[in-house]
Amino acid sequence: MTKDSFTNSILLIEDEENIRSFIFTALKNQSYKVTASASGAEGLHLAASLCPDIILLDLGLPDMDGMEVIKKLRSWTAIPIIVISARTNEHEKARALDQGADDYITKPFGTVELLARIRTSLRHSRQMQDMSSIHQKPYHYKNLTINFENHVVTLNNEIIHLTQIEYKLLTLLARNSGKVLTYTFIMEKIWGPYTDNNNQILRVNMANIRRKIEKNPATPEYVFTEIGIGYRMAEGD
Amino acid sequence: MNLTTSTFKHKTPETFIGNALLTVLILVAATVIAFWFFHIVPENPANIALVYIIALVLTARFTSGYIYGIAASLASVVGINYLFTYPYFQVNFTLSGYPVTFVFTLIISLMVSTMTTRIKEQADALVEHEKLLMDAEKEKMRANLLRSVSHDLRTPLTGIIGSSSAYIDNHRELGEAEKLELVSHIREDSNWLLNMVENLLSVTRINQNSMKIATSMESVEEVVAEAIARFYKRFPNADVKVQVPEEFLMIPMDAMLIEQVIINLLENALVHSRSSLPAELTVIHEEKQVAFHIRDYGIGISPDRLETIFDGSSYRPETSTDGHKGMGIGLSICKTIITAHNGAITAKNHKTGCQFTFTLPESNI
Repeated sequence: MTKDSFTNSILLIEDEENIRSFIFTALKNQSYKVTASASGAEGLHLAASLCPDIILLDLGLPDMDGMEVIKKLRSWTAIPIIVISARTNEHEKARALDQGADDYITKPFGTVELLARIRTSLRHSRQMQDMSSIHQKPYHYKNLTINFENHVVTLNNEIIHLTQIEYKLLTLLARNSGKVLTYTFIMEKIWGPYTDNNNQILRVNMANIRRKIEKNPATPEYVFTEIGIGYRMAEGD
Repeated sequence: MNLTTSTFKHKTPETFIGNALLTVLILVAATVIAFWFFHIVPENPANIALVYIIALVLTARFTSGYIYGIAASLASVVGINYLFTYPYFQVNFTLSGYPVTFVFTLIISLMVSTMTTRIKEQADALVEHEKLLMDAEKEKMRANLLRSVSHDLRTPLTGIIGSSSAYIDNHRELGEAEKLELVSHIREDSNWLLNMVENLLSVTRINQNSMKIATSMESVEEVVAEAIARFYKRFPNADVKVQVPEEFLMIPMDAMLIEQVIINLLENALVHSRSSLPAELTVIHEEKQVAFHIRDYGIGISPDRLETIFDGSSYRPETSTDGHKGMGIGLSICKTIITAHNGAITAKNHKTGCQFTFTLPESNI
């Protein structure tokens, strides 16, 4: 890679002046190279000319629909996109993710949360460029370890017995740890592309997994629910 | 009472044709029954008059206005004379005593018509009155809500504007610690304001006319887990003991709204109990419903507030001891949300604190 590996460049597409300025300042202080744009059209143009490492996209832009921006970007690039969205609209978030956005962050958010999301997305895009590594490196977080090579899941060094579906689910989440995966995405990956919209089977399996790996299903440590959207696994060490 | 009046109301036809048809139908039915009686016990014609009187009462009851009752009574008096008194199939009013029968039947039918019409009018008035009362109640709730909202919004805004002005006006003189304190006050107040706005936004998810919501099947433990996570995000130092049933439960709800209720009740337990002991959230699967108990070990609720705690009227600025963090609208919003789910919410004191309980039905029906 020719890019300076210490400074990742970020393109911020957000029309609200105050929010743009606070994100800009926060990211600059973390020594990211930030370029900001107030409109979708300009943002698309900048994305093509700058080729940033990551794009932060507000869905409520004045000149074009955020979904449209995602679609146009995805037609030529796999640059990770983090969507910035309001809390109340779960469907919008799920749709943005299914359109190809990598993650989302809900307004209002703190800088800590934003920086964590950016780091996760950057890590994932690096892994995508080096496919071989993710298949070998085990997932480890707190007391949970998943060894992808020999299909073994351990909690406190004790082997956890999972059904085949449960194992597939857990590894799918672990390979994308830190990232939210939508119901649609998971259903397609595990049960195939032609399953119906009823995701009850997914929720039942998740409940079973929870009972096997979480101390208390109501205060999970490893797998988190994003109601109306999907699941997110805690980012591995 | 309410139910019966409304059924009668619905059964009363609105048009002339409908009313007339009904009257004719009842009279024909009465005649058929009378013929049958006449055939079985020809020696007792009193039964026949009784059958017609019943027909008159029914006509008066199920038609609107007096006209049909009177018309029916005339028709039946003539009918009895024509069909059931000798000479048969001839109208003969010179029969001894018949004018008396005629007059009495007419009086009875007039009285019945008048009475039933009045009853119907009263029932309608009662329904109307109840509707007005409900509207007034809604209006009162709205006014209360608006009043506490404007108070609750103004206080943190004052803090935010004050702190930021103080920072901007005096940034040269202020020390680092003071600056940090001002900014952290701004953050605290804005977070509070955000919660407030989210509460208000949640109400907009409820249909204002039907007071109903769009529900979907949600996993109880997932909703509880997300609510707890959001609560910890706001209050990182808080501690809650959570317990959900071992079985996997899915019930219909608007997850966003139920999370809001849980967060409001936990916040209440945290802020108002004045206790350092952790609050408890326990979910229990009961018969046909799921109960959520939020229990704290603090000072409890004063008995005179218990009754009105959910209706928003318990807001009294002079008793709000800790400034802007009054119970405000949170609890009345909880009540609105739970009612829209066809559930129930209650508050009570126990020996060492208070307990809020809300229930959600297991199915929509």
